[in-house]
Amino acid sequence: MSDDSFVRFSLRQRFEHIAMMLLFTILSLTGFPQKYFESGWARTVVDALGGVGSVRMIHRAAGVLFSVLLVTHLMLALAVLVRRRNVSLTMVPTRKDFTDAIVTLKYYLGRAKAHARFDRFDYRQKFEYWGLIFGSILMVVTGIVLLFPVILSRWMPGQVIPASKVAHSNEGLMAFLVVIVWHIYNAHLNPDVFPFDTSIFTGKISRERMEKEHPLELERAEGRSEDEEPGGGG
Amino acid sequence: MVGPVVQVLVLGLVTAASPAEDAGIGAEADVACLECHRDPGAEDTLSKSLHTDVACKDCHADLWCDGQGRTDEPRPFEHRRDCAARGAEQCTECHYQKPTQTLESVHHALVADGKLEVAACTDCHGAHDMGKADERSRISKACARCHEKVAAVYAKSVHGSALLEEGNPDVPTCTDCHWAHDTVDPTMGAWRLNSPEVCGGCHTNERMMKKYGLSTAVLSSYLSDFHGATTVLQKSESVERPVVALCSDCHGVHDITKVDDPNSRVIQGNLVKTCRKCHPDATDNFPGAWLSHYEPTLEKAPLVWAVRWLYKILIPFMIGSLLLQIVLHVWRVVVNR
Repeated sequence: MSDDSFVRFSLRQRFEHIAMMLLFTILSLTGFPQKYFESGWARTVVDALGGVGSVRMIHRAAGVLFSVLLVTHLMLALAVLVRRRNVSLTMVPTRKDFTDAIVTLKYYLGRAKAHARFDRFDYRQKFEYWGLIFGSILMVVTGIVLLFPVILSRWMPGQVIPASKVAHSNEGLMAFLVVIVWHIYNAHLNPDVFPFDTSIFTGKISRERMEKEHPLELERAEGRSEDEEPGGGG
Repeated sequence: MVGPVVQVLVLGLVTAASPAEDAGIGAEADVACLECHRDPGAEDTLSKSLHTDVACKDCHADLWCDGQGRTDEPRPFEHRRDCAARGAEQCTECHYQKPTQTLESVHHALVADGKLEVAACTDCHGAHDMGKADERSRISKACARCHEKVAAVYAKSVHGSALLEEGNPDVPTCTDCHWAHDTVDPTMGAWRLNSPEVCGGCHTNERMMKKYGLSTAVLSSYLSDFHGATTVLQKSESVERPVVALCSDCHGVHDITKVDDPNSRVIQGNLVKTCRKCHPDATDNFPGAWLSHYEPTLEKAPLVWAVRWLYKILIPFMIGSLLLQIVLHVWRVVVNR
């Protein structure tokens, strides 16, 4: 860490990330044996955790906590939005993100001279964030259907229940794969941050990294641009 | 016919003499026995059975008399049922595997507990008229001697009526599901959890099911549903009872009817009542959650089918695109260096 440390994540955001990591791990560990119940490893895990009834209880408990985390996060974001009118929301996707993506791909292919210049959150981080939000909402909603199928089928056709099971199961798989492939790459294996991007845990990021990764935000912070102060991000 | 022959011969043998030396096998020795132990048709019965090469003393060795009906040895059993109940010991002289299997059975456990009236080898196979094991209608009649009520229900079921009225070889009889020799208590958790595979043994057989126009997807569709998955995962635990529905919970066990029988428990009109056995608050929409042993298709379960297809496309596309971007990034970094 260099001396010029910028605050990138608030305490609340750091806590949310750790809670998310923990819950995601528990949910995956108790979810996958249920999805792939016919494989040998699934039986091993289920037995180790005390049987299928126990695995379900743990999954549901973690799911409830996950829902609480999600709802709290969304409510707080909504509160910021409502209370601070002149806010430029740094996590909302803009046209610039699409052009940035194209420029970046061109750069990778050697067709552009330089990398795109990013603000506080680049298009990949926004993609991860919004994927997480929509994916989580889907998991929570389908999870609730699977938790209360008898009650909910009073108001909707029974077929919604097996459809929710397919959605829950596959969305969970997709989320897991995206985390393993994309998120682990961006946070650990990416040559720019290898071996470990610690900013989400420390809350801080060095000026050197700011110059490389978020130059537009740096310019604004150092008074060199004409944009307004950004408000709370995601 | 079996009964009186067995009873007369066993009764006679209770008063038999001590074991003698091997007086030679075959018709000669048998004729000697039959001089006293005469029952009309006894010779006939023996010669028509599968045991034509077996002599009286091969099974009744303990009771071999000296020709005068005298014995110095105490009787090795207390009464005729005791003799029959412990008959497996004699059968093991030649038959090893199946009598040994019976030692694990619920029948044997009851006999060891003193309930001698429970099934022993000769009760099902006959004592002197043993036939081949595959005279299948004979099996359910043998079991019916003790399990009357169940047999009566079975006789009216789609399986039972086909067996008893038409001699249909495809349907299960008692021993196909409950097994003949190592019969276990069918209320036991472990056995019940295995029952989908027992039903599946025939109901996934293409050749057999084609004859009756029945789907072979019944086991796989059950297993891909919540109930089936739980059953599979519960197998490794030692559970008292399965927590979820098995084939028999919906279809019945001895009273299985055709699915389109108006009294069937699984036709759409009746299904919610069946679900309510475990889900008392289920409303009429609830049975729609069960895809009725069909694979989801555009016609049968469009929503499920659509969601499945969405993810079949989305997941490879998503992961593929992300992997591509990673590869491109790493390539650019390597090239720049």
